[in-house]
Amino acid sequence: MESGSGDGSTVPKMDDYESLISTTDVEHLKRVWRREKAAPEIFQFESALIGRIKEQIQLTEETVEEFVEAKTDPLTVSLYQMDLDRTQFLLRSYLRIRLQKIEKYMFHILKMDELFNRLSKEEKSFAERCCDDLKMHLEDCVLSRLPDNYQSILKQSIISEETDMVPKPQLDTFVVCKTKYYLGHIQLEDGDNGNPDDRGNQRHLEEPFEMEPNVLYFVRYKPIKKFVEEGKIDLY
Amino acid sequence: MYGRKACQLVKELATGEKEQLTPFNSDQLDQVIAECSQHYSELQALIRNMQEKGLDVQTTKNEDHFGALVHHLSLVRNKRCLMSYLYKRAEILRNLIWKVGTMLPQEIQEKLSHFEEEYFKKHSASLKSYMSRIDLDLAVDMVPPKDPYIQVRVLDDIGEGIVLSDDKTANFTCHSMHFLKRTDAEQFISRVSSD
Repeated sequence: MESGSGDGSTVPKMDDYESLISTTDVEHLKRVWRREKAAPEIFQFESALIGRIKEQIQLTEETVEEFVEAKTDPLTVSLYQMDLDRTQFLLRSYLRIRLQKIEKYMFHILKMDELFNRLSKEEKSFAERCCDDLKMHLEDCVLSRLPDNYQSILKQSIISEETDMVPKPQLDTFVVCKTKYYLGHIQLEDGDNGNPDDRGNQRHLEEPFEMEPNVLYFVRYKPIKKFVEEGKIDLY
Repeated sequence: MYGRKACQLVKELATGEKEQLTPFNSDQLDQVIAECSQHYSELQALIRNMQEKGLDVQTTKNEDHFGALVHHLSLVRNKRCLMSYLYKRAEILRNLIWKVGTMLPQEIQEKLSHFEEEYFKKHSASLKSYMSRIDLDLAVDMVPPKDPYIQVRVLDDIGEGIVLSDDKTANFTCHSMHFLKRTDAEQFISRVSSD
């Protein structure tokens, strides 16, 4: 997404520069945004980061205003403005992507405490309202008119043992990713929970998968999920 | 044949253009729901039949059991189709808020059922209340900014004295051209699609 960063052609001089700018909040937000955009599921809301970003936006806005009042060179002003616009876009887009994920998987998110707790306070109340509204809509239109044992919104009928009517994110989709570290022993096939969804697609890799630093990989999301959450693997 | 009507309902979604709404087919929907009730009464009749014969409903595997099973499965299938129909349409509606905003054009509005209109209003309100709580309008900045200023031509008489972010006012009469801050122009672009 960023120009030049990371197709293996980085020269040593760039590295210093990159490590310098990669410590800024905006750069951090960019990573978080990219991860949120590329991953099928929702991540922990970065409340501290978002708080800082909002403050910085306000600060830059004030700076720009001061510049305008002081009649500083329009070019300087417009550079600041451009920087500001980019940050604002990142922030808005980040929040938007999260909302759209909530809209898409609301019943699943509300049902799973682990996911629900990843939302910010505002997102939580939005998710709850969302669910109530859609539930009411579906009930009014169809569910209330179906026979008694078939009115559940989460289950197909009263005899279903699990909630089999809830749309879930597809965790075994493919993602493009890269890491800064050397990661060995990644188990690409998940033998642990025997998910019936990917029975046919399981490739039986005998040797564990290894990831070299700064190489792009195209793998299933599920096996690397843990690393992505820990921030060891970046998604693109 | 059982389940055909429900299948047609889902096909309507599948064959239609992606993210485009077709007129709400309440006739078909009602027929499928009626079919569900029909299945249910037949299912119950079969189970009653088994009970009258003094058979254990849970374990007996006679013709009544399998008959009931067919009715149950057809009912469940119909339910899945009905829900897909509504759910997918609700999803398209939600996406429309992001694309065209909370004011739907007449031609889309006509395709909605009464309940869908209600749902659309409620969901728009939820989004609005979220945005006002975080004090940020998420409906602008939909594409990454390239240039802070853009050139626009007004396609519709929007009105005079529209206040821009730098406290100046602009006069947006039809066909006038302006060089504006992107953030100022964006709200109008999504509303009337000025160019």
